[in-house]
Amino acid sequence: MKKFDLELSVGLFMIIGILCLGYLSIKLGKLEVLGSQGYQVEATFANGGGIKSGSSVVIAGVEIGRVKQVRLDDYQALVVMDLPTDVKIQEDAIASIKTRGLIGDKYIEITPGGSEQLVGPGGKIRDTQSAVDLEGLISNYVFGKL
Amino acid sequence: MENHRIRHSLRAIFSSFLLIVTVAAPCFAGTPTDGIKKTTDRILAIVSDPALKGPENSKKRTALIRQAVDERFDWEAMTQRSLARHWQKRTDAEKKEFIALFGKLLERTYLDKVGSYSGEKVVYVDETVDGKYATVSAKILTHSQTEVGVRYRLKEANGDWGVYDISIEGVSLVNNYRKQFNSIIVRSSYDELVKKLRAKVAEKE
Repeated sequence: MKKFDLELSVGLFMIIGILCLGYLSIKLGKLEVLGSQGYQVEATFANGGGIKSGSSVVIAGVEIGRVKQVRLDDYQALVVMDLPTDVKIQEDAIASIKTRGLIGDKYIEITPGGSEQLVGPGGKIRDTQSAVDLEGLISNYVFGKL
Repeated sequence: MENHRIRHSLRAIFSSFLLIVTVAAPCFAGTPTDGIKKTTDRILAIVSDPALKGPENSKKRTALIRQAVDERFDWEAMTQRSLARHWQKRTDAEKKEFIALFGKLLERTYLDKVGSYSGEKVVYVDETVDGKYATVSAKILTHSQTEVGVRYRLKEANGDWGVYDISIEGVSLVNNYRKQFNSIIVRSSYDELVKKLRAKVAEKE
């Protein structure tokens, strides 16, 4: 009887350990177990500037969603974002690619608009602002002057 | 059987013709690039007109340029987009006043610089039309062969294309003002913003 108790507690301990491990890897890896709860919105940028799936989508500095997919569409960057249902994006919102600090990660900032029409699931944010290409700007003024 | 086939192909031709007519119809307003080009050429003509050069003519020149810009710019859409979330809360009178103020502000900020024009050229690169919206990409070539990328965003209204945003080197004018207006309104109030704009416009009179 005593031996059985010991085995049982070891087993329980193991199960709890595995559950914790699973929880941690889902949390830390930011995986979605039950699929996304929100909706998806597209935006096309002339220059993606190295944005990738998993990059944050931010409104007023608050992370509200993530980039789900980035692909090339007519030689432009088509970004698909996952947003929660309770965050409404107006039809005239502007999505811009920003850099954290000078050389940090890229993220997408949405500045909300004032239109009464909303971008629905699968909709598109029309007004976008690409990553500012600092190097390009500098070379413009360095090599431009002949 | 033969008859049937002929009738079939006739119908196909007719329907494809109909399709062309309906698709082509919105183009009667002129393409977005044509609109931009017309206005730009008009402004360039004003700026390079020797009769309008010199500081004594600056008022007249500004008025002429403003007139040309007014025809192309959709000030209401531009102001609405700049005020964004705060636009809907305004009364009609407030909206009207703000449109006028914002127009004045842009005029003061940018038209003063027009006087320094020295023969830069504008090249139209690309145009995309998506329903009622369009983008026109252009490049400004300076004397030193520097290229400055400009992107106009237009919206169709009453059969004509009106500009509602301009991006220069990827930086949007509306987004710039949207953020500034928002932060001022959130920090203080809409009245404070109007007061600030009035002061700004008056200081440059």
